[in-house]
Amino acid sequence: MAVQEIVVYPDPRLKQLCDPANITSEITTNLVTDLIDTMYESGHSVGIAAPQIGICLRVAVVDVSNHKLGKKHNHELMVLINPEIIESSGSKTMREGCMSVPDYTGNVERAREIVVHFTDNEGHDQVVRCKGFEAVAIQHELDHLDGLLFIDRVSNPGTDIFKRK
Amino acid sequence: MQHFALTIIGRDRPGIVSDTAEIIYKLGCNVADSSNNILGGQFAMILILSHPQITDAAQLTKEFSTLEEQGLSVFVRALKPGGEQRPDLPGELCMISVYGSDKPGIVYQVAKVLSDNNINIVDLNTKLIGTAERPVYVMICETVLPADLTVTSLKALMDTLKQQLQVDISVRTVTPVEL
Repeated sequence: MAVQEIVVYPDPRLKQLCDPANITSEITTNLVTDLIDTMYESGHSVGIAAPQIGICLRVAVVDVSNHKLGKKHNHELMVLINPEIIESSGSKTMREGCMSVPDYTGNVERAREIVVHFTDNEGHDQVVRCKGFEAVAIQHELDHLDGLLFIDRVSNPGTDIFKRK
Repeated sequence: MQHFALTIIGRDRPGIVSDTAEIIYKLGCNVADSSNNILGGQFAMILILSHPQITDAAQLTKEFSTLEEQGLSVFVRALKPGGEQRPDLPGELCMISVYGSDKPGIVYQVAKVLSDNNINIVDLNTKLIGTAERPVYVMICETVLPADLTVTSLKALMDTLKQQLQVDISVRTVTPVEL
């Protein structure tokens, strides 16, 4: 499979509630490969969700291990099929940007630590505890599956949205 | 297209934004950027506007005369070409929080050190909090450091200032992440 083009807002596919993915289907397998290829190809991305390449299914991939903020706590490449956050605690604010919302960044407060339940690339059911930047990245990607962008999470437009430097 | 900076300020009440936006919309202006806040009891709007035909600041000012009649102050400034573009500011982003018991010169002393070191302020908010008896001044500042200045050096500069002003100052870097 291949690197796919990133869907950019106001494309309506970014605002849809995604359908659960069929774990055994070839569509899901191919989608996972495309997501991984597209994420690594961008060079600076640490995660991507299916709607960002135009597919409305509940699949995302995250890998913060190459980012300076993710060195300490990471699970390397995580393939998240039908993921669900089952526990979250603490709070952490980061200046988030998104490949689908170019030119802007925003301060978003998210849980510092989460427990995420998902099916991995091999079809195994997984429950994983994540913290710090990896937890933030997962929450950002999972929002995409519910049609939410970081702009939906910004609390104060005056102090929380920034033109990208 | 000619760009203008429009400033409107007056005693806060519901309807200032609506009255202003109505004039802007009916004139056919584009709003490229804006900041609108309540400051004390005043509502202050600063907007960067453009219009396909209007090139004269006086002509644009006239269109807002109904706002002046309502007690709002209106000022229009015509921008030189390119004046609407935000310059590219490479360099590390740093938030600086300054707070302490209120005294004259906090903003000046902090801003002077930043300016002397070629540090660019891109956002600045100040507030007086605390009680009437024990007022606390808070200054929150987002800055871009020049290429030759490290965060460690900025922290050292702020530490010296902290001693001089007898206030608390914290410096933290902001790392925008692409997700």
